[in-house]
Amino acid sequence: MDRAYQRTRILTNHLILNSPAQTDCLTSNECLSYSPPELSEKYAFDVSEMRRLMDGHDVEERDRLFGLIIQSKLFNPRVRGGKVFVSPDYNQSMEQQREMTWKRIEYLLERGVFGGWMTGKGEEVEMKRFACFEVLGLFDHSISIKLGVHFFLWGGAIQFFGTKHHHDKWLRDTENYLIKGCFSMTELGHGSNVRGIETVTTYDSNTGEFIINTPCESAQKYWIGGAAKHATHTIVFSQLNINGTNEGVHALIAQIRDADGNVCPNIRIADCGHKIGLNGVDNGRIWFDNVRVPRENLLNSVADVSPDGKYLSAIKDPDQRFAAFLSPLTAGRVNIAVNAVYQSKVGLAIAIRYALTRRAFSLKANEPEVLLLDYPSHQRRLLPLLAKIYAMSFGANYLKMLYVRRTPQSNKTIHVVSSSFKATCTWSNMQIIQECREACGGQGLKTENRVGHLKAEHDVQSTFEGDNNILMQQVSKALFAEYVAAQKRNKVFKGLGLEHMNKPCPVIPSQLTSTTLRCSQFQMDALCLRERELLNRFVADVSQCLARGESKEHAFNTNYQLAEDLGKAFSDRAIFQTFVEAEATLAAGSLKDVLGMVRSLYALTCLEDVTYLRYGYLSVDNATAVRREITKLCSELRPHALALVSSFGIPDAFLSPIAFNWIDANSWSSVQH
Amino acid sequence: MASSVSSQHDQVLVEVKSFARILTLNRPKQLNALSLHMISRLLELFLAYEEDPNVKLVILKGKGRAFCTGGDVAAVVHDIRTGGWRAGANHFMKGYTLNYLMATYSKPQVSLLNGIVMGGGNGASMHGRFRVATENSLFAMPETAVGLFPDVGASYFLSRLPGFFGEYVGLTGARLDGAEMLACGLATHFVPSAKLPMLEAALCAVDSGDPEIISSIIGRYSEQPSLKEQSVYNRLDVIDRCFSQKTVEEILSALEREVVNRRDRWISATVQTLKRASPTSLKISLRSIRVGRFQGVGPCLVREYRMVCHVLRGEFSNDFLEGYRAILLDKDKNPKWEPSKLELVTDTKVDRYFSKVNNEDGEDLKLPVRSKFNLPPYVVAKL
Repeated sequence: MDRAYQRTRILTNHLILNSPAQTDCLTSNECLSYSPPELSEKYAFDVSEMRRLMDGHDVEERDRLFGLIIQSKLFNPRVRGGKVFVSPDYNQSMEQQREMTWKRIEYLLERGVFGGWMTGKGEEVEMKRFACFEVLGLFDHSISIKLGVHFFLWGGAIQFFGTKHHHDKWLRDTENYLIKGCFSMTELGHGSNVRGIETVTTYDSNTGEFIINTPCESAQKYWIGGAAKHATHTIVFSQLNINGTNEGVHALIAQIRDADGNVCPNIRIADCGHKIGLNGVDNGRIWFDNVRVPRENLLNSVADVSPDGKYLSAIKDPDQRFAAFLSPLTAGRVNIAVNAVYQSKVGLAIAIRYALTRRAFSLKANEPEVLLLDYPSHQRRLLPLLAKIYAMSFGANYLKMLYVRRTPQSNKTIHVVSSSFKATCTWSNMQIIQECREACGGQGLKTENRVGHLKAEHDVQSTFEGDNNILMQQVSKALFAEYVAAQKRNKVFKGLGLEHMNKPCPVIPSQLTSTTLRCSQFQMDALCLRERELLNRFVADVSQCLARGESKEHAFNTNYQLAEDLGKAFSDRAIFQTFVEAEATLAAGSLKDVLGMVRSLYALTCLEDVTYLRYGYLSVDNATAVRREITKLCSELRPHALALVSSFGIPDAFLSPIAFNWIDANSWSSVQH
Repeated sequence: MASSVSSQHDQVLVEVKSFARILTLNRPKQLNALSLHMISRLLELFLAYEEDPNVKLVILKGKGRAFCTGGDVAAVVHDIRTGGWRAGANHFMKGYTLNYLMATYSKPQVSLLNGIVMGGGNGASMHGRFRVATENSLFAMPETAVGLFPDVGASYFLSRLPGFFGEYVGLTGARLDGAEMLACGLATHFVPSAKLPMLEAALCAVDSGDPEIISSIIGRYSEQPSLKEQSVYNRLDVIDRCFSQKTVEEILSALEREVVNRRDRWISATVQTLKRASPTSLKISLRSIRVGRFQGVGPCLVREYRMVCHVLRGEFSNDFLEGYRAILLDKDKNPKWEPSKLELVTDTKVDRYFSKVNNEDGEDLKLPVRSKFNLPPYVVAKL
């Protein structure tokens, strides 16, 4: 029956008041039914093998922790559409959410999950700890931040800035949560610029104590995770003033609560209040009023004060001394980068599974409606993000290995790579989750469907542990310094993956074919070309400013646009390199073939970036060819979409109802139960 | 031959009651242990009923004091001895196929568990939509005591019990009564056995396969039994603490720590049970339940079939034949397990049980295609 006629008939029925009780136009419509994508989609490669490659390490440990979470009532299991989902109840008050975060930590503590996290040493322990953080982060950002503050920031500060007696005194108790640590660095008036903080510490040689003070309101410690409710101890960052000389920023330990949770004398604590996300973390503000701590509480690996009040430091240069103090933040940055990738995985797994079961519009009348993911436009929205997630996963694995195998020589590389990956992964995460939320339509707005809520929970990642923009500027500054150093060394670049600068500049063919575009060597050349040209240009422009007599700082500040482009170019190239390396470990076969397509899609998505046209690295024709190839790759990867998101290894319970039987999850009978 | 065929046919009795079909497992002397013939017959009947618009509901029960005590282990061993491990595996292949069909059945299955239900008996009931326990119900998955592991899809349904109760039930072979089955979710209803005839009659009068309607009918005869004071289900906190541990060794030492703390006879008995069980069985069972927690019912059965093939081949351990000898044949209850200790069963050894059987005649379980049926949501959720 033609549509116009049907509509007319329905309207007529509405208008004729005494219309016969005809319901056949209702009953004849067959209801939509949910068909699980597993029944229609085929896996062309071994999903568990791909998962091992993606997770990279400690797969069994991850599964055990997933199991501990799913099987406990504390993690708020809820049945929707016949399946169990775990996720915090974000409808709880801030106080309740904080309480639950703490109860979950206690449960994991009892189950021995944190065993060896502080007292253990070596690559294996550190990688296992990363894996656990990734799993816990998949459940909830608050629990991972609350644990991160205690173990990585408080515990890390003691490990890195402390010496043996600090380790002996604090690490085991930290691991067993006999004390709860926090990390007081940021102040109301100073965040990224740590060297500008205003808290002051002096020394009283009569009693052998340090005296900590908050001299003004802008010096109050701010955003201190754990401070508002639970923390008993904190690392305090302050300007150390010895005999009238400011020796710069130093860290020491202060107790802020007793074992019963009462705030200590001379300490004032206030709550940071409700936030747009992360409400399971009790961020607080701290004021110090002549707080006295024993001399031993100074974390003295870099500098010390003798009992009679003499300042002693092995590192004479205050810049270097300060840099040493920031090193534990690197672990936090690694964690954030990696965690961001896993959040993207949750969002995309949900959006793709939904797109494989939700239909909209028919091509012709009376035909079934089309699956969202069968629309080229929907593929174009989601599949390049899939490729990006794969690339970032390999990047994150590389970053973790770089970190756990750190040596004094690799510190600079770790700083640069972790800064750029942290910025790239967290920015990408926000972009990916936003796209996924839109791709899920209205369903993306429901908190229980996770994908929309993740945005609010992870927005903070772009600014904490280093503002992304500032981190990217630091990357460019570091690359600038490398360039200058290479010039001194007769133009040889070594490290940070910049060796390609020593070779002749790659040439992009004038007519890019499909074969060339999918060739990893070409892709690498194109990414190196952009990095190289931007670095040359950045150095030239900064040097010009310097020649005009401007200060270095000013020169960097005025060239911020180039700095930003360069930071991204570095990051894209470095991540691509880790992708190529991961791919090289595989034997020929379907897994490698599919991964090759994913790699191409990632590379071409990078090449689609506006910088290629802005600076003329690609001709308009070639840019068109790149774009065309992307749509081809999207349609070729469409059949592998389910397998590629299943390879994320995220248990069903950590996704959400729209990723499964969303019709049953919304049925009337589910309302009644 | 004729008489043997008819007696074989009698092993599953069929009653046609309007839109319901009552299937009665009828080998009471063997406590309704599932012979290969019974499995084939059930498969045949279930497949036929699914196509038959006049069938809306299938009721499964057992004759005598058992619902079903599992597979016919003696026949399996006999077939292995005469036809090689592959012949034994055939029993399991058929059985698991039936389990999958039941798990993904488009019509409701009501199992009346009025007696012993063990091993394969659970495979024939737990996957169905409704499981009715009574005061006579006695549940167990005792495989680790005979060198096997909880199979028939147990890694799916045990892993989904509350907390770590599934690990406890699967590793120790603990026996549960009807009230406990209901409490942990193995049973969907508890009906006193005296009311079963009325329940059956009511179900036979129904002309609908709507699970909501059937549930409300069973609900009319259901009671809420109270757990015995000594019930293991009152010890969930201890069970969770101990059976959530990473390895079997750690579970044992956690239990031993608990004994020190509270001198509880139940805990020391649990320790003893675990120490009597096959070390290999314990380790592969724990892994199976843990892995099964993240798998759909189909992948669980495919994996279990790989595992059982390895067990039957005896390439890494002959505990299955030894368990059969000690528990069922000689009944000396003194099996000599090999490897004899938990620490000898290394992770790499356990890994092998989960690998694909690399033998020309060894193949993966082929699950029947279910997509042509309109599967109800509770089935879709299991895939």
